[in-house]
Amino acid sequence: MTPALALAQQSAAVEVGSGSNAFLEGLVAALGAYLPMWALWLGAAVTGVAIVMGLISLIAMFSVWLERKVAGHIQCRYGPMYVGWHGWLQSIADGVKLLLKEDMIPRDADRVLFMLAPALVLAAIVAAMAAYPLAPGVFFADIDLGVFFVIAMSSMTTIGVVMAGWASNSKWTVFGAMREAAQVVAYEIPLGVALLVPVMVAGTLNMREASEMQSGWYGMGWFMFKNPFMLPAFVLYFIAALAETKRAPFDLPEAESELVAGFMTEYSGIRWSFFFMEEYAAMFLMSALAAVFFLGGFESPLTWAAGEFFGRELFVKGASGATELNLQAIPYHAVAGLTLLVKSFAGIFLMMWLRWTLPRVRVDQVMTMGYKYLTPLALVCAIGAALWEAGKQALLG
Amino acid sequence: MANEVTKTMPPSTRLRQTDVGEVTVDIRTPDLEINFGPQHPATHGVMRVLMRTDGELVTGAQPHLGYLHRCAEKIGENVEWLQYLPYTDRYDYLASMNNNLGYSLAVEALLGVEIPRRATLIRIICAELNRIGSHLVAFGTYGLDIGAFTPFLYCFREREWMMALFEKICGARLTYSYIRIGGVFNDAPPGWFEEVARFCDVFEQKWPEYVDLLLVNQIYVKRTANVGVISREMALDFGLTGTMVRGSGIDWDLRRDMPYMCYGEIWRDGAFKIPVAKGEMGALGDCWDRSWVRVMEMMESIKIVRWCLDHMVDGPVIGELPKTLKVPAGEAYVGIENPRGELGHYVVSDGGKVSVRTRVRGPSFCNLAVLEDILPGALVGDAIAIIGSTDIVVGETDR
Amino acid sequence: MQQTETAQGYVKNIWDSVKTTLVGMKITWRYMLQKPITVQYPDERMPIPDRYRGIHYLEQEKCINCLACARACPIDCIEMEAVRHGKELEWISFTLDYQKCMFCELCVYPCPKDCIHMGTEYAFVTFDRSEFKHDLLSFKGMAREARIRMKEAEAKKAAKEAAKAAGVKVEDSKAEEGDGE
Repeated sequence: MTPALALAQQSAAVEVGSGSNAFLEGLVAALGAYLPMWALWLGAAVTGVAIVMGLISLIAMFSVWLERKVAGHIQCRYGPMYVGWHGWLQSIADGVKLLLKEDMIPRDADRVLFMLAPALVLAAIVAAMAAYPLAPGVFFADIDLGVFFVIAMSSMTTIGVVMAGWASNSKWTVFGAMREAAQVVAYEIPLGVALLVPVMVAGTLNMREASEMQSGWYGMGWFMFKNPFMLPAFVLYFIAALAETKRAPFDLPEAESELVAGFMTEYSGIRWSFFFMEEYAAMFLMSALAAVFFLGGFESPLTWAAGEFFGRELFVKGASGATELNLQAIPYHAVAGLTLLVKSFAGIFLMMWLRWTLPRVRVDQVMTMGYKYLTPLALVCAIGAALWEAGKQALLG
Repeated sequence: MANEVTKTMPPSTRLRQTDVGEVTVDIRTPDLEINFGPQHPATHGVMRVLMRTDGELVTGAQPHLGYLHRCAEKIGENVEWLQYLPYTDRYDYLASMNNNLGYSLAVEALLGVEIPRRATLIRIICAELNRIGSHLVAFGTYGLDIGAFTPFLYCFREREWMMALFEKICGARLTYSYIRIGGVFNDAPPGWFEEVARFCDVFEQKWPEYVDLLLVNQIYVKRTANVGVISREMALDFGLTGTMVRGSGIDWDLRRDMPYMCYGEIWRDGAFKIPVAKGEMGALGDCWDRSWVRVMEMMESIKIVRWCLDHMVDGPVIGELPKTLKVPAGEAYVGIENPRGELGHYVVSDGGKVSVRTRVRGPSFCNLAVLEDILPGALVGDAIAIIGSTDIVVGETDR
Repeated sequence: MQQTETAQGYVKNIWDSVKTTLVGMKITWRYMLQKPITVQYPDERMPIPDRYRGIHYLEQEKCINCLACARACPIDCIEMEAVRHGKELEWISFTLDYQKCMFCELCVYPCPKDCIHMGTEYAFVTFDRSEFKHDLLSFKGMAREARIRMKEAEAKKAAKEAAKAAGVKVEDSKAEEGDGE
């Protein structure tokens, strides 16, 4: 294997997962004969980004529809009803509308920053999304620092938001941007510290590995039940995630009744929809993190049963010694992937339910809550969990 | 710190230290002037507030009016007495029945016509139902200002029924023109009183939901308690009326203190109470107290409606009036308790078909004056809460 | 969240927040499972009560062009024009400008013949402002019956005059009438 081929294979593995994939190896080898290394590398990167983008748009579209239906039914109305069954195609119709809309840039706006901001926001969330495992054997990027990467990338979006607020050259957007910056800084800490509790139990930051560790007890060996500090940590994490993703009751950066639309007041059309996609993708990611580190990830009794019945290994060593795709294990992976998806959307649903129930907190209260309530409580949880684990090890050996 | 900021500011802006606590200013940057409105989701119409902010802190505010000025009072001097009635609908469009009532009472005071008992009771039912509707809007949109969307739609659900009731009795949903000089236009259609009773029953069941969902919600309490405090003295100085003055702990309600129609009788019967804020969640006279008064008043209105339904009599619904209305010379002022406060109509007649002078004392207009004093010192989020808590209807402030 | 100096206040704050949030969530959850109360507008419509104040309609046969409604209108948006032939009316126009009209129903009450009413039609959509000026007439000119009545009245009048001119000759006048027709 030439070094070029090895590098290409490595980068290709970023999208479709396992490096020991016979099919991919063959593909890279076949293409490597005709194309230079950089072309392979670029092709792999573009394909990967396209897949993640598609996933993000699908998630955003479904979430928007779900949001509108949840809001509608909570408020004794139907929500979208006309486009498709119960309006399920509404998001596509809206997407087409947004694409066709005039792209307006205010005359006095900083054009470069104004155009760059939505792209940056979307790029950050696409990068973060790459760490999301689709199924135990199917993932874009198997990152050992998965949690760290996701949190780091999703807080990168803040830079885009601040850029958008500043570049719009409007007083309301600047307010929104400043609020976003302050809020994200305040809530990064409790978010990270609360996540530390399950990470401590798991002993890994890799999302796939953490999920695999919860497969005990017939698929119910979730971290949630491993430790009495888990439930408060989960609640704290969830609240911090709400603030991190700018969701009500912490939707101050875009507080509709206060700042018109906050940092995205001046945006319209497809640029505006980038912010929207970012918001829903971030919600999804935060929920997915919660699902993986608190609620068992892929694991559920159903997944366990599927695993027992169909086998778990997607790639097995064939008779010839090369790795082969184990078609029998596909149902297990499908069930596992769906389990995580359902858990993530359950988190999104909870966020929506809260949004349509609660009023918005004030800007100083957001800070108070972050620094005076969530951070100390998260620290208490983390220390308690650490002591608990240490004690358990000392007592039980 | 307060003094330091005040010194660097023009004399027109005053900084009042509210619950925001000690805000220390490290770096002085020029204050940011923000045009809050006329097109803004939280101005409840087209009011404009010129706010001067230092970061999130509002250091000065000046309301600007007049975007909805339609010369309503001048029109009153150019059309006949009865013809002015539809115009009264349009200044406080959330409480049209009360506006019709105020104007009719003022003209009737000059006419000296006797109003049939049935007409009086129907008038009270309509006015009180409209008060409920108006408070529902006030409370719902206040929730919207605070950021809670759902209670707003729950409030509108009940208001929808109230509007359907009015649609049945007079045919219109918002601008009723139903209460006219001398009585009411039409007798209630068959089954209407029964439906009103049903509405009262259902409303009593739904009412606790507003309290649970929004009024006692901790976030709501934290957002509104100790915000925009209007002290008793301030309330009196600014001539506040209605929910604003009762929210500051002053027991003043025209229905009891200057009774018109048969409110005095209902009060003596002990059918209703007047909720006066006690400052339960924070300082007396904060935004929470005002919204509490509104929520409580809805229930009292239900009681008044019930009393009227129980004491309903048969008979005509309009007094004996000539076909062409000529009002005897003289002047009259009648103030009634509008959902927003004292709505006064002052009319002068020279004995002709047209009024010589029509003047309206709008409650929103008078209540709005206090904004300039309570906004400085609040945060931007608080400013929205304070403006919402004054429950202004811009149609009436500008008329 | 300012009054949190005491530890008690700190704990109470958390407790209150959690409790009231859960209470609110319970209420919204209950409504989420209920059937919505709204109506899917163009497909279903709310019933319109009898007294609904929509677009006017005119019982033209009854109308006597007395201008009572036009005088009662606070904004003078009713205009009517008709030529009187004896007792009968030849209608030229009866317009109501819905750009001005505020649906106050004041025009309905003074009508001596009870011929102008407010209907249940409410949807105004036009591409042109001039279309807001509705002509309430169902026909222009004279009604067939009115024309017949007018003819009869004219004939009678003519007969009377003829009788006057003829003096005593009653039989001839009848014959003349027959000829005239």
